[in-house]
Amino acid sequence: MAGALSSLKIVEVGEMVSAPYCSKLLADMGAEVVKIERPGAGDRARTRGPFPGDVAHPEKSGLFLYLNTNKRGVTLDVTQPEGFEILEKLVADADILIHNVTPPEMDRVGLSYERMRRANPKLIMTSIVPFGLTGPYRNYRAEDLTTWCAGGVCVLNGAPQFPQLPPLKTAGQQAGYQGGAHGATATIAAAFAQLRGGTGQHVEVSLQESVASMLEMTFEYWPYMKMLSTRWGQKPLAPVAPMQCKDGYIFLCCIEEHQWRNFVEIMGNPEWAEEEIFKDRLVRAVNWDALKVLLEPWVAQQTVQDLYKKAQARRVPFAPVSTMGDLINSEHLKARGFFAEIAQPVAGTHTYPGAPLKYARTPWAIRRPAPTLGQHNAEVFKTQLGLSPARLDELKRKGVI
Amino acid sequence: MAKPPLSDIRVCDFTWVWAGPYCTLQLAHLGAEVIRIETKTRPCVTRMLPPWPDGVFDSINKSGYFNQYNQGKKSLSLNFKHPEAREAAWRLIKQSDVVINNFAAGVIDKMGFGYEAVKKVNPNVVMITLSGYGDTGPESHYVSYGPAQVPLSGLSALTGYRGFPPMHAGFSYADPNAGVHGAFAVISALFHRAKTGEGQYIDMSQWECAIDLLAEGLLEYTMNGREPERNGNRDPQMAPHGNFKCLDLPEKILDQIVDQWVSIVCADDAEWARLARAMGKPELASDSRFATLAARKLNEDALEAIVTQWTATRKVADVVTALQAAGVAAGACADAKYLSEDPQLNERGYFVYREHPLVGKRQHCGIPWRMSGTPCEIKTAAPVLGQHTDEVMTGLLDYSAAEVEAMRTKGALD
Repeated sequence: MAGALSSLKIVEVGEMVSAPYCSKLLADMGAEVVKIERPGAGDRARTRGPFPGDVAHPEKSGLFLYLNTNKRGVTLDVTQPEGFEILEKLVADADILIHNVTPPEMDRVGLSYERMRRANPKLIMTSIVPFGLTGPYRNYRAEDLTTWCAGGVCVLNGAPQFPQLPPLKTAGQQAGYQGGAHGATATIAAAFAQLRGGTGQHVEVSLQESVASMLEMTFEYWPYMKMLSTRWGQKPLAPVAPMQCKDGYIFLCCIEEHQWRNFVEIMGNPEWAEEEIFKDRLVRAVNWDALKVLLEPWVAQQTVQDLYKKAQARRVPFAPVSTMGDLINSEHLKARGFFAEIAQPVAGTHTYPGAPLKYARTPWAIRRPAPTLGQHNAEVFKTQLGLSPARLDELKRKGVI
Repeated sequence: MAKPPLSDIRVCDFTWVWAGPYCTLQLAHLGAEVIRIETKTRPCVTRMLPPWPDGVFDSINKSGYFNQYNQGKKSLSLNFKHPEAREAAWRLIKQSDVVINNFAAGVIDKMGFGYEAVKKVNPNVVMITLSGYGDTGPESHYVSYGPAQVPLSGLSALTGYRGFPPMHAGFSYADPNAGVHGAFAVISALFHRAKTGEGQYIDMSQWECAIDLLAEGLLEYTMNGREPERNGNRDPQMAPHGNFKCLDLPEKILDQIVDQWVSIVCADDAEWARLARAMGKPELASDSRFATLAARKLNEDALEAIVTQWTATRKVADVVTALQAAGVAAGACADAKYLSEDPQLNERGYFVYREHPLVGKRQHCGIPWRMSGTPCEIKTAAPVLGQHTDEVMTGLLDYSAAEVEAMRTKGALD
């Protein structure tokens, strides 16, 4: 069965996470993606691990291999005029251009929607950039940490008992993933609008705004109550916290009163549970320090899986603090066939995270592994664009491809 | 002016709490008519959660939490204890392009609105269930709450200071993550439907969708057979890479500690040299302890101490301005107050202020994208419970005003 998006042709000029993840979501649902990388080094993600055996190799980066499934790859220096011309040729034949070239770099190479639509008036161009294409921070330099912090998440996380420790980032390149996911949503919406008689257009996604849009209630505390949520751990409800078991960590989650009562029963109805200072979820949150020291010794006697199952049997939404090994060995994830084995000629076969969603009619599928650097140069430049071997040699000499 | 992309798309929205409402929020952003089915007998959990204006909980229609994630939607109040209410829901399903819920697996089927039943009255509908564990598998019936999804997914095990236990992400990150991926899936399925006429069902596991965010950690395990180490804010390939203490605000807000931090990252040696110059210590660029990435990683404690010495006497905004002028990635560790006043977000018109009958105009986060051809806009504040019941019942579902009144008297619209 064909993927839902198999009619779409996409060109990606992407580095690291945001634009590559955006086009991966589309590619894994069937879209044809040609990924453009810089000649020589390629996407910066190729320099980042994990690498099998810890030996860095541009064709073996776990991050790159994950983010670029189902894409064909070419090398092209779009900062050179001849390279830009080839980009225009590729775009002339595509529905969508997805990029995360930063605004100052866009200015420098002349990458604008006005110019790209001259090559293809029906083009949808999606620009995923740190702070947006307008505003005083337009030209700011940013790495993932910068936008994750500027979007307001870091200040929510840390160790309340150690104020000298900094606000803590979430592991991985999370601003990039969210820019990619929000970008994919806006991009496919633009393609849907076009399918229903609309035109090409420019879609602009700000990483900072994507992060800020997810802040749960934490942002609204300010406009509603002039209060700030911080990593100091003030929580409106309790228990909502990780705690150590015999063999690992579990996350206690009693948001509803009936869940708390069931948990108290699982603990064998200790007398202290009847104290006024634990009488409802708000009061338990205020007195969390006292509650915590009463819970800890009991939880420390349990095993993670046993407490997890006991709690879930009573509809209490505890969850293990999963390690990577727990995930890979999870009977549930195995039964759902979540993980994907992907073979790539240089890196070998490894287990990757699989489909984020299961579509009944148009399944997610890995049709090809991530491309090696320049793997599809001949296929794309010669066959698709019709460049002559002499011209290709010349471009290679000039370092354009 | 062109209409937004999902104009004329109607969404029958059974979602509650967060993942589901975040999903339908994206669809509302894109112009879909999103009709929430709610009931006064069991209001959405977030209607009872803070923040409330002035901290006072006296109405299920004032929660800032609810009001953030339900902007631009309609609310239809139905009490399914009454068969007439169920009939109204069926009429809405018949006229919808999309049906969405985020109950645990099987719950929507037990309610009678599962895909098999929905498909019978609306064969080409796109339906999605955003459950915690997915529709199949031995744990599919487990209860899943957003905060617990972060540790369940593996993100907490990877997140934390070196030598410390796993940390939470600070918010229910897996929820909006599921919501935005769910919205992508719905629109992809609508795209397929526009081409072929076929609707379909989509099974989402919020757990799986979050594992997709930690591929680096998972691949460390599958490629090298070991659990990744927690490493605070540091990065294997960049240094400095962290959050640094700045001058605190002169006044404290209420009785809360408000400490100020700035993120600073040098991606390579050249950027480190620029940071050293900006700090007035250009000689550090060639200092053998810091000249190369390898050296900076070896001496990272000393490196961070030097940067902190410089930031600690300066305000966040001054550090950011100075470093950005020098070509170094730097930004505020923004808290809500900082965000609220952020010149970038304000100049871009990111925040939304729509009149709400009970809380007035409040500042809410807006749409994180701009579309040149089909502009998107949040037109209305979140609905009070049942605000659009009459409008939807008579305007869309073909009930007469008398029928609506009779149902209301019976309690079917509670």
